[in-house]
Order: sequence, then structure tokens, then C-alpha cells
Amino acid sequence: MQFQKILRRAVLSAAVLGASSAAFAGSEDDTLRVAMAEEILNLDYNYTTKREYIILAQLTDAKLFEFDPDTQDVLPSVATSYEWVDDTTLDVVLRSDVQFHDASPLTARDVAYSYNWLRSAESESNATGVVERWLENAEVIAPDRVRFHMTAVYPLVLRDMSSRIMLRKEGTYDAGGEINRDAMASDLISTGPYRVESFEPGTELVLKRFDGYFGDAPAIETIVVRNIPDIGTQQAEMMSGGIDWVFKVPEDVATAADAHPDVDFLSGPDLRIGFLVLDAGGWSDPEGPMTKVKVRQAVNHALNTEEIAQYLMGGSSQAIHTACHPAQFGCDQSVTRYGYDPERAKALLAEAGYPDGFPLDLWAYRDKPVSEAIAANLTAVGIDVNLRYVKLESLNQARAARDIPVYFGTWGSGGTADTAAIARIHFADGDRNLSRDAALTEMILAAEQTADPDKRKALYTKALGRIADQAYWAPLMSYTANYLVASDLDFPLSPDGLPRLQNARWK
Amino acid sequence: MLKYIALKGLLAILVAFTASLAAFLLLNVASDPAQAIAGEDATPDVVETIRIRYGLDRPVYERYLSWLAGVATGDFGESYYWHKPVAELVADRADETLTLALSALFVTILIAVPLGALAGLNPNSWIDRAALGVAVSAQAIPNFWLGLIMIILFAVMIPIFPVSGDNTWYHFVLPAIVLGASSVPAVMRLTRTGLIEVMGADYIRTARAKGFRGNALLRRHALRNAILPVISVLAVQLGQKFGGSVITESIFAINGLGRLALESILGADIPTVQMLIFVFAIVFVAMNLLADILNAALDPRIRIG
Repeated sequence: MQFQKILRRAVLSAAVLGASSAAFAGSEDDTLRVAMAEEILNLDYNYTTKREYIILAQLTDAKLFEFDPDTQDVLPSVATSYEWVDDTTLDVVLRSDVQFHDASPLTARDVAYSYNWLRSAESESNATGVVERWLENAEVIAPDRVRFHMTAVYPLVLRDMSSRIMLRKEGTYDAGGEINRDAMASDLISTGPYRVESFEPGTELVLKRFDGYFGDAPAIETIVVRNIPDIGTQQAEMMSGGIDWVFKVPEDVATAADAHPDVDFLSGPDLRIGFLVLDAGGWSDPEGPMTKVKVRQAVNHALNTEEIAQYLMGGSSQAIHTACHPAQFGCDQSVTRYGYDPERAKALLAEAGYPDGFPLDLWAYRDKPVSEAIAANLTAVGIDVNLRYVKLESLNQARAARDIPVYFGTWGSGGTADTAAIARIHFADGDRNLSRDAALTEMILAAEQTADPDKRKALYTKALGRIADQAYWAPLMSYTANYLVASDLDFPLSPDGLPRLQNARWK
Repeated sequence: MLKYIALKGLLAILVAFTASLAAFLLLNVASDPAQAIAGEDATPDVVETIRIRYGLDRPVYERYLSWLAGVATGDFGESYYWHKPVAELVADRADETLTLALSALFVTILIAVPLGALAGLNPNSWIDRAALGVAVSAQAIPNFWLGLIMIILFAVMIPIFPVSGDNTWYHFVLPAIVLGASSVPAVMRLTRTGLIEVMGADYIRTARAKGFRGNALLRRHALRNAILPVISVLAVQLGQKFGGSVITESIFAINGLGRLALESILGADIPTVQMLIFVFAIVFVAMNLLADILNAALDPRIRIG
């Protein structure tokens, strides 16, 4: 095996001698070369979570439905239509021409199997938590129909079907009664617009356009994903024409690379937002300053979010005033807005009984310049801030121990443009909810169990209004998604910030 | 001699176990492996699922003892990320690091020995000072900076080498220069000192009396003896190249053990980190042992054991 590696290296070396640098140019061989810092080790999104894997799943997997980020509508995909039998029973009608990458047809049994497997405890899938929220079981009721029996009303079911659950052949993970959760980790057989041509984990993934794909064929024939951990090396590869697309680029690197004639810097929205969570419930100190609404309002007035967004985040970052991203369904922007007003902040602190401020531990785990700006803003109104910049795990542990008066948190909503994707985890379940507001939690959970969109919106408006009035959070800014792309590549940006490489084409 | 080798071998194993215990404790104290695997936005139920799946809900001491028990049977565990035995993972990646380390050593010899010879033949001259300046500069420049400068110069501005990757021999040229540069001063100074010493020896005077001059004297008599201590130092340097490959492999996207170590530490992939520390420690001690044996073999006056 070692000898084969050496031989391959020698042959490739000889090939490189004869090749010109022009061979790297992507448009000439219709190959889009992509760099990712994260090592790609598992191609099965049913068993992964990170952003890189969401991007790859868009290429390799077709879901029952597709989500349109522009209109926020759920569009047909593997399913042609759906019908609610009652509030907790959903019938889905399947296309008849869907093929797996090995040319075998997709059946209703495959769909039911995929959902039931992910629902089962033995699957230990990263999607199980999502599926078990609503799915009781999936049942084949006709060759082209699957019935989903749900445990409760759940308005996000179609959205989950369009994002989190990947379809697999019946028996994929438990053929012959033997469980193999890594069955699709390397040799992925799915139904998406690209099939896996070759995969060397941690090194390179080659995807080829799948001729048997039932939908519109993507414009680019081949996508090569390389793992390049260093951002400086990624930048150099862009400038030398070795790669055509890279994401998560720091603003300063992107701006510098943009000066190169063959490289364009694109900045688009990202669903991730940043915010301060204030211990209104008094978990860390029952009599602590953060239990007083005027103090929390003062914190909101003290923060210069406009300048943080403009100068520290840059790109497409915007100041926000809601506990959700403005692009998310139900994220009503008409709630109370606290403008930057340090004098008003000082006055509110005095009214709350803290004319000389108070000592405050501010916890943070990322974006140090932003954390320091927040600390400086709070210090300017008289609060004696001790910035505790720690690793995420330490912050999580301290929060679980209910020992945090204020922390700078961020949330990307898993790319889901719905307020439900941020509200539940921060105001209902678990230790992220520092508000101790049962009425608010009730509203959030009620919204999740309301199928009617208008009623859901109304519930979120009420909940977000309460969060703003009570200043449970100090919302800060939306994040920006920065890309470097080859100047001959047309890469459309999505409003939800999820890169869809299947929509890229050469100019 | 055999007793000495056995003692050194035992020492290597002790060093490896001590280092692995320290790494195990530090990784568990400094990070939550389940959270690291799940990612920043993972919900608590996903983190908990991962914690249970990998047995991370068990006490730290229990997990370490279970790892030790595995090692005793030759099982170093399975990577949390790669889902395959770490021994297999390390074996897959070893040849990239070995190629890089040997290439770097070659670069070191190519630069350091001629520089050392020049300096040794002209002690305390401007040539000596210049050679020392070059060598010390090579060591003083940080790897990550030198790597990026080499990429900009020889892969972007003058595109004669690839920017990154490890598919061909050409991919190893720039990384080898970067990794090899840091060892230049040690080898260069040793060559210089050895040569100064040898050039004053009686047998050189004899050789001169026999009519040997210039290159012939240098190659056939002086350098051959002056270089003896360098050979044992090179063995130590090779061990250091293994451990020092972390930054170089990351910059040049080489899929070797160094990059694997970095990714595993960042991702709290404890079984992989444990195995790598084990391997690095043993390689390092083994190279030191090799240096001792080479010294003894090359210089009969030295006895070990």
C-alpha cells in the first residue's frame, strides 16, 4: 500500500511536469474547486451537524421537499404534494422517477424506512432529536404514498423534511440485522444532483453531476472539495487559481484578496445573530442587578450595535433589535427598540438603584473584538465589567451550573429561517433560558404547536414583544457570510446565508 | 549494549505513557469532547447523544483505565471523528510525515553542511559571520511565516511549485525547505566546530605533507571525520521533525501526522491524540537511542551501556 502511494506520487509528479498552470483554471475543465478548513470525514448528513456538511448535503441529497430561501415557501422535490389528513396525520405523495446514485429507484418503503430509522433509539443519529419531536411513525399506504403519524401538532414538519432528514435505501443502516451507522459515511448512495465520484476522508471529495437526477441539472459538471486548514493557504490557492470558492473568510483577508484581478469578494447575509443573554431570572444571584428590568434596559441602551456591526463585523452585518434574525419567519420587527443612548442608560441604572454601577462578569467565547467592544460600552455607562473570555465548553459548563449573569451568545438556527429555530432553545428548553418567564415559554411552545401561519406569527409577535419589553436579551447584530470566488464564477447568494453550490455556474 | 537498548526502550514506553496521561487529563479538563464533536450550535440532546455514543458520560479515570486496558492488548481505540481504529489512521498518515521529515532533513544537510564547511575553513572571517547569520536567521523565522512567504514567492508570484497538497514530490519541496530551515544552525555549527578541530589535527598535517590540498583534502580527510558528530545530531533532528510537522503540514495542507494531531487536539479526539503522543514520544526516544548507537559505532572511543 505504501509502495502504491509512492508510485502514485511519482506518476503524478511526472504529470505535473508536463502540465501548465492553466490546467488549474476551473471553467476550462468545468470543475469547481472548493476549499474547506474543516476536514470532511463523513458524507452522511444523518450523522453529522456542522455547516460544511449541510453544504455538501445540498449537493448529494434530495429531500422530500425543498425550501425556497427567497420566498420561504416549501417546494416539491422527491415529494410532489402533501395532504393533511388531520392535525397530526400527513400524507406525502412521491415522484415516480427518483433514482438513487446506483440507478435503483426510490420507493415509498425507502422513505418510510429512512424516517422510522432516524426515529428509532438505535439509530443514534444527529437527526433523531429533530424527528422524535413530532414523528410517531411513517407508514407506506400506497406505492407512491407515505403516511406520517405525528405525536403532536408541529408546524415545522415540512421544513424539517426539507432540511434535516436524508433519504436512504431500505435496510441501509441495519441490513441483515447488523447495525452499521457508518454505512453511508464514505460510499454515499443518495438521490441528489451530485454523486460521489471519489472520497478520501480529510483530503479530497470529488462529486460528479448525477445524470439520473430528477430535477434541474446543475450547470457545473464536477465539484472538487479540498480540505485546506489554513486561511492564508486558501487565499494563496485562490490567487494562484488552484481553487475557485472558499467561505468563512475573515473580512480583512477577503478585502486583501479582492485586490487580485481573478478573485472576487462576496459578502452575503448569514442567519447567525449575536446577542447578550441577561440573567433576568436571578439564577446566578436572586437579588442580582440583572433581575431588575431597568438595569437590563440600561444594558440595551449602552450598546452601540450599529458601530459594532459596521466596523467590527463588516460585510453584510446589520444591527438587530429582536431575539431572532429579521429574515426568519415570525421575526416581527415592530417590537421595542432601544437606541444607543449612554446617558439614558446611566439614568436607568440610577433609577434602578445603581448610580455608581456594579461589578459584572461578562462571559464570551468568540469574536473577541466584539466582546471587548461590549465590555467597553458597558464600562462607559459605569458598569465595572470583568470580561471572562473562555472556551465554549467552559461557558457551557458555567451556564449549566447557573453561574452566569450575562453572556455573549450567538446562534445560527441551523440555517432554518423560522423564529422557532431560535426561540425554543433560548426561551423554553434547557439552561439557555435565563428569563424564568413561564408565560413566555408558554407562548413559544404554543407557537410551535400551531399550524396556522398567521396565528403562529401573532404568537411570535407577542413573545418577541415581551422579550423586548422585559429586555431579557440585548440583541446585537447579524453575522455576515464572506466568500472569495473566482472572477469567472457566478455564485448566487442566498438570503438565509446557506451556500448553494448547486446553483453556481461559469460566467 | 543490549541492556542499554532495553533500558532506553523501557524509558520510551514510560515517557509515552506519562505524556499520554497528561494529554488525556488536559483534554478532558480543557474541553468537552462531546461538544467539540457536535459543533457550536448543537442542541443539548445532540450533545448528549454523542456523549453516550462514545462513552464520554463515564468518569475520566474509568475511561483512561479502559484505554490502558485496550493498549495492553494492542487496541488503541477508535477515532471519534474517523470512526476507524486510530492505529490504522496513524499508519495511513505516517508516510506523508516520514516523507516530509526526510525531505526536511535532506534540505537541512544541503544547506547546513556546505555552510558549516565554509565557516569552518574560514573561522572568524566575514564568511564565517555571514554563514552563521544565514543559519540563525533560518532558525529565527517562525515556520508559519516562512511557509506563507515561500507560498507567495514560489507558488503565487513565480508559480513553480503547488501551493498546497501532498499528491506529488513537488508538493513537498516548499514544506521541506520550511521544516528543514529550523535545523540548519545546529547542524551548521556542529560541522563548523568539527572542521576547525579536524583541520588542526596531526593526520591533516600529514595529509598536507603528502601533497593533499583543497577539495581533495576536505572531502577525503577533513570532512569525513568532522561530520561524524553531525550524523548523530541528524538522528535527533529527524525525531524533532516528526513533532515539528504540525504547523508545516497545516499550512501546506499535507495529510500527515502533524495535521492529524492538530485537528485531533482542536476536536478533542482523545483516542487519536493519545496514540499520536505515544508515537511521537517513542519516535523521539528511538531517535535519541539511534544517535547514541551511531556515536558509538562511528567513534570506537565511545562505549555505551
